[in-house]
Amino acid sequence: MAVSTPALHDALGDLVGAPHLLRDPAALPAYAVDGVVPGAVVRPGSAEEVSRVLALCATEGLAVVPRGAGRAMGLGNPPRRLDVVLELARLTAVREYVPEDMVATVDAGLTLGGLAARLAPQRQMLALDPPGGLARSVGGVLATHASGPLRFRYGTGRDLLLGARFVQADGTLTWGGARVVKSVTGYDVPKLLVGSLGTLAVLVEATLRLHPIPPARRSWQVSLPSAPAAADFVAALLDSPLQPDRAALLDEAALRRAGVTPQPIALLLSIGSVAEAVEQQGSALAALARGHGARVDAVPESAWGGLGEAVAAPVLLRLACEPRRLLHWLTTAQAAAGRLGVEVASLAQPGHGVLQMAVRGAAAPRTLGAELVGPLRSGVESEGGSLMVEGAPSELKAICEAWGSINLENMAIMRRIKTEFDPAGCLSPGRFVGGL
Amino acid sequence: MPLSPHVLRELERIVGTAGLVVSHEGLLTYECDMHTFYKGAPEAVVLPESAAQVAEVVRLCRREHVPIVPRGSGTGLIGGAMAAAGGVMVSMTRMNRIVELDFANRCATVQPGLINLWLSQATRAGGYFFAPDPSSQMVSSIGGNASTNAGGPHCLKYGITVNHILGLEVVTGAGELVRLGGKTHERPGYDLTGVMVGAEGTLGLVTGVVVRLTHLPESVKTILASFPTIEDASETVSAIIRAGIIPAALEMLDEVVIRAIEEGIHAGYPKGAGAVLLIELDGPVAEIEAQAAPIEAICREHLALEIRVARDEAERALLWKGRKEAAGVFGRLTPNWLLQDAVVPRSRLPEIMRELQEIGARHRVVIANVFHAGDGNLHPLICYDDRVPGELERAKQANEELLHACLRLGGSVTGEHGVGLDKCESLPLQFAPADLNFMARLRRTFDPDSIMNPGKLLPSHPACGEGFRPTARPLPSGTWI
Repeated sequence: MAVSTPALHDALGDLVGAPHLLRDPAALPAYAVDGVVPGAVVRPGSAEEVSRVLALCATEGLAVVPRGAGRAMGLGNPPRRLDVVLELARLTAVREYVPEDMVATVDAGLTLGGLAARLAPQRQMLALDPPGGLARSVGGVLATHASGPLRFRYGTGRDLLLGARFVQADGTLTWGGARVVKSVTGYDVPKLLVGSLGTLAVLVEATLRLHPIPPARRSWQVSLPSAPAAADFVAALLDSPLQPDRAALLDEAALRRAGVTPQPIALLLSIGSVAEAVEQQGSALAALARGHGARVDAVPESAWGGLGEAVAAPVLLRLACEPRRLLHWLTTAQAAAGRLGVEVASLAQPGHGVLQMAVRGAAAPRTLGAELVGPLRSGVESEGGSLMVEGAPSELKAICEAWGSINLENMAIMRRIKTEFDPAGCLSPGRFVGGL
Repeated sequence: MPLSPHVLRELERIVGTAGLVVSHEGLLTYECDMHTFYKGAPEAVVLPESAAQVAEVVRLCRREHVPIVPRGSGTGLIGGAMAAAGGVMVSMTRMNRIVELDFANRCATVQPGLINLWLSQATRAGGYFFAPDPSSQMVSSIGGNASTNAGGPHCLKYGITVNHILGLEVVTGAGELVRLGGKTHERPGYDLTGVMVGAEGTLGLVTGVVVRLTHLPESVKTILASFPTIEDASETVSAIIRAGIIPAALEMLDEVVIRAIEEGIHAGYPKGAGAVLLIELDGPVAEIEAQAAPIEAICREHLALEIRVARDEAERALLWKGRKEAAGVFGRLTPNWLLQDAVVPRSRLPEIMRELQEIGARHRVVIANVFHAGDGNLHPLICYDDRVPGELERAKQANEELLHACLRLGGSVTGEHGVGLDKCESLPLQFAPADLNFMARLRRTFDPDSIMNPGKLLPSHPACGEGFRPTARPLPSGTWI
């Protein structure tokens, strides 16, 4: 049934309250997903309302794309069809927070910034800092498996999501995981939801492991003359007893865009601990860096704030490789970009082999696809890695599938899971790997 | 139901004569894991030497509708690695090699039967270790650790097994031999690795594991603090966490356990204390020195009787020996016991320990405690003597009440041991029918014919809790919790 049916809109409006249903044709294009404009935007005010909306959509066969703060909607393939954008921005409550447990249960629509403000008075944090992420929603960051420099010590949403309340495609409110820091009761359902881009269920509530904010913290920029020098330094750093809490590697373009003193290549590192350890580790870090021909500058906390800018571009790629191959792929991408006359700004997670590349320049989508994305992807995939298109204009997405190739056996299992939990293909149809 | 001769012939063709156990005496070795309450011998045990053999076995069993039970070292405590519904047991003990140590990527590829401790021993010289350290680590296998998502004392700081698994090679219940994840730290698609870890062999068999290696800490400080009462020790744990200090490990042992350890192992724990905390800090020297001072102050505020710091590696090893082998000396205290693994929010530790003592008193059973206090992961051992009429029933009632109390506080049924056959009936205490239904459907996507470790992990299966009469007998020494 077409979503344009006014009666259907009325029914959705009845479920969430008319003011929370957006159906003005002039306003809807702002909610387009990869150019596909929804018939309506629904803003439920509770998990129960999400449940009722999805139940109705399932009955009517409407395609739904969930949306948090709308900051990462470029991820994934264009939806095969789209009737309703389900915006979770009204779900912002902190449901339970016991500082002594270092666990908080929060609504999926709460922003990282909003959560940080609630935790800061207790000197605690959610250790997730995707670039530009304070405005992003908890649910969105989890559903896209977004991460940032804090991953170096604390991991990703995969490691921090303890429990999840979610709504299945048919509207069934479901819970998985636990509200305590350690549990192996039943399957680890939250793991299935992290990074699933709203294709299996809609996350409405997350129980999260928190960490203490270190009592002292200092940051340094370690500037290196070349990529090989950076590779050597990263290897030495990882093989040392030094324990930075944040790490980011930026190339010259990324440093410039982040508003940091440009260098051929540099690492931003911070050490968070008790004051004595910060001093001791800081000295050891500086000594290690200088031994590798690096220049070491203390930088203010604000240096980290520019990472979002570093990777803000119409075309954003995300490469994952074996950690030891990180600098190889960074320089390979730079060389390919140089040949095309475009600029690639690279922001990497040293130690995890993850490289975000923001592409700016006037190359035609076909050229970018054929000369940059294609060769990089086939190269890194042949080593067991992957290249995702995290964001791109529709013309480029039409040429380059967003996720790359998934091996057939993995894909068969993923397809069975998708079919089991969303048999009618109502949740973000077509956006995920293999057209799921 | 006995296996038909042609199935046995096929199994022998796949794994060879040396890899097949069918004799009655041979099968008895495999009739239970460390939870000897639950017994069920398989009709055959196969000991494959390759993933390809495992895949062939699974495909055969699927075709013949024969249940499959995976088994690592058999040190589980939940009735997981036993053949509840008969069938074929797949033992991974012959697949126990390190395939590759890759220090440049800080990972290792291992076969599932590799003993946990062997990996840390093999990587120590390179400056690395495998962080998950279940107390069974000198005998339990990494495949088993992955299948049960094992914990251990140091998971307080380092996380549980799933946080250290980068990739798996598995044979699913559908007979697919598939690699999930790998040396890269992320990849597009659903996190099948994360789902498979902790699935207790109900989705498939783990035939290979890529694990993360962790750099050895610069230094380690191990502190033993003794307290007049278990309440004082519990309050101390809460206060340490509240102060924003996360030690590498924070373990509690009560008076009953201390006594048993001192009689059996002589680890040098102070006799007469109501409880001791074993606190370990690791990391940069300056950090642990700076953290040790407030920890010692907190201990004193909570009436610590004695605070002792291990002076060298030998003293440290002895303190840990007491902890890790604690359960092995329980035979000295009680002929039988029930063991629990429930978790409470860590701020509720003092509360649950008070309630635990009340429950023990009410049911006239001794409840001994040795557990991961920093995580709120209890391991109460409810002691009874099966020769005394009524004791088992009282122990069971105490066990049940305690579990309910933990869940009332917002806890979890099991923190690290897993569900197996032992706890599947308890899942409805923690999950609503819709939640369990979701898990059952997830299981079906990997195991469409319900052949993988049937009767385990989820309560809905008819085999769960039926047909297995508890046969009480003393647990052997060599149980690790």
